[in-house]
Amino acid sequence: MSNVNAANANSYHIVEVKNLNVVFGSFFAVKDVSFFVNKGEIFGFLGANGAGKTTTIRVICGLLCATSGEVIVDNEHFIPGKEDIIKSKVGYMSQRFTLYNDLTIKENLAFAAAIHKVPRKTMQKNKSELFELVKIDRDESDLVADLPSGIKQQIALVAALIHNPTLVVLDEPTAGVSPASRAQFWALIKRLTEIGKTVFVTTHYMDEAENCNRIALMRSGELIAVGSGQELKQNTFKQQIYSITPKNELTKEQIRDFSQKCDLFKPYGIHFHVIPKDGQSMGDFETIANVENVTPSLEDVFVQLVEGDR
Amino acid sequence: MVSRRRVFSILKKEVFHILRDPFTIIMALVMPVVMVLIFGNAIEFNVQKVPTAYVDQDHSQSSRMLLRMLGSSQYFKLEPVDSVLQGNQRMERERASALIVIPPTFEMNLSGRCPSHVQVLLDGTDNSSVGAIAGYIGLIQEKIIKEIYKGGSIKAPLKVESRFLFNPELSSQWFIVPGLTAVIMAILSILLTALTISREWESGSMELLLSTPVRPIEIVCGKIIPYAFLGIFSVFVVYLIARIVYSLPFVGSHWVFGLGALLFLLSYLGLGLLVSTVVRNQQAAVQVAMVLGLMPSMLFSGFIFPLEQMHVVCRWIATIFPAQWFVDIARDQFLKGSSIANLWLPFSALLANVCLIVSLCVQKFKRTLEK
Repeated sequence: MSNVNAANANSYHIVEVKNLNVVFGSFFAVKDVSFFVNKGEIFGFLGANGAGKTTTIRVICGLLCATSGEVIVDNEHFIPGKEDIIKSKVGYMSQRFTLYNDLTIKENLAFAAAIHKVPRKTMQKNKSELFELVKIDRDESDLVADLPSGIKQQIALVAALIHNPTLVVLDEPTAGVSPASRAQFWALIKRLTEIGKTVFVTTHYMDEAENCNRIALMRSGELIAVGSGQELKQNTFKQQIYSITPKNELTKEQIRDFSQKCDLFKPYGIHFHVIPKDGQSMGDFETIANVENVTPSLEDVFVQLVEGDR
Repeated sequence: MVSRRRVFSILKKEVFHILRDPFTIIMALVMPVVMVLIFGNAIEFNVQKVPTAYVDQDHSQSSRMLLRMLGSSQYFKLEPVDSVLQGNQRMERERASALIVIPPTFEMNLSGRCPSHVQVLLDGTDNSSVGAIAGYIGLIQEKIIKEIYKGGSIKAPLKVESRFLFNPELSSQWFIVPGLTAVIMAILSILLTALTISREWESGSMELLLSTPVRPIEIVCGKIIPYAFLGIFSVFVVYLIARIVYSLPFVGSHWVFGLGALLFLLSYLGLGLLVSTVVRNQQAAVQVAMVLGLMPSMLFSGFIFPLEQMHVVCRWIATIFPAQWFVDIARDQFLKGSSIANLWLPFSALLANVCLIVSLCVQKFKRTLEK
């Protein structure tokens, strides 16, 4: 977590969201959300489907208008006529679309650069630097349709960065990508922060979220927690978490009984992560084969905060 | 400020999409050829070889001459029947479209210089051809009178002689094919642009595009220009087929025709973009585009159905759509050759249409994902 310290040391806020509300008809997609993103950090934005993550991202990228509230990106406010300044500071990689399949790598990158009016020489320089960063050695005349999904994601990232933005917004960048490619992609995200970029990323994978310097958790349009992974774990779980392995498969009655005796009782593969209520000891449970102390993961935090009250 | 570089980059991207998409190429190149060949041959306003039953109750020299003259024309295919009843049955079974009944007193009346009546019964269920058949009989009647009274002293007190200008043969193809350019261009242009934008919405690339500083006018221009070239190429293909296959004359100015075609194309390309700003999936876009492209260009353009005969409300509706204005220009340039000054009304209407549609398009094309 050395990056956390680095991020905290630099307190310049590249994104500031203040009392953001986005309402569609009578539905509050985002409700009074406020947070900031420090320069040079990886900021994770987590939440279940429909929590309001993508809506918030779209407001930051200028794709949706806020109903009320304020969004400031690199000291620029979203006001009519000034969107272009902000849009040129943001590199966006969407979840649904990455690159045009019927265009070659070269054509896709040239298009991305031209849309941002990057001078040709600068584009060539940026491109070679980014290719070096992502360590891609592909023929630029390859059609995107012929690329493996991992390479495609990396080229899409190069396209999002070709105009040298200060903020990189990635909406579930590793969805549908193989585990090996996911790991590679996250190594790449870390390298981006090393060259001074700020990364704002949403993901469904909790193991990926562990790579973030700070994390915001959304539930039903509301921000329910913000902090580093460590802070979230400490604040969420003040007691020891145990991993229990039942002797046999638990019956409905046994599960109900456990739930009543525990503050946390969630399945975790063949095990259960539990926090016994005050006064209950693990010895009270006769059906348990094995008990181990565990350090809470972000998945525990997510389950407890995002799904806990469901 | 419109950035030429952005417009050019979108334009270039569209050209790559077009060149690498067989569907677009087929639509743009094959569809006009197929349509012009099918429509050009399928639509025929001139009625020929009408199956006609006849009952000759006179069996005289005059009645035989009458039938010979009718039969020798290209309009009728005569078949004898024994009675009026049998003739009626043929018409009921749709084996004859007309029945000619020559009464037993036909020659007697003629030789007595009395009016002689021939009964012609026509199938009124097909009113598209019935008027033409009646017209042909009227024309032949004059020739018959001349033949019967050859050398006689009877002269008609009034003789009306008609000359058909611009289309002397009254060729249906000469009438249809210039109007067909409007129908083909309307369908093609609205469909291609509606598809290109809705495809971007569907794939999510529009989201990425809108997250950049690109402006609606730049997207609209970048999208319209390549398809305008494609449309002009289609017009050229239709023009060649019209000239080579249907021997259509072209007496006007190619520049005037080209300018009219360009304005018409721009208005329909803009309409396609307008459709795609509202309808964001390809299937629905195709349906709306077909209704907006096909219906006005077929019904409200004068391509087949004369606007002058329509109800005043329909005529007003027709003025809204650009199709009727371009059909006017196309027919004029192929067959009449008026100057652009004489065509100021259709040109002004087309120009107004383009300005309205493109500005609506730019206005409706929001820079956000909101509908």
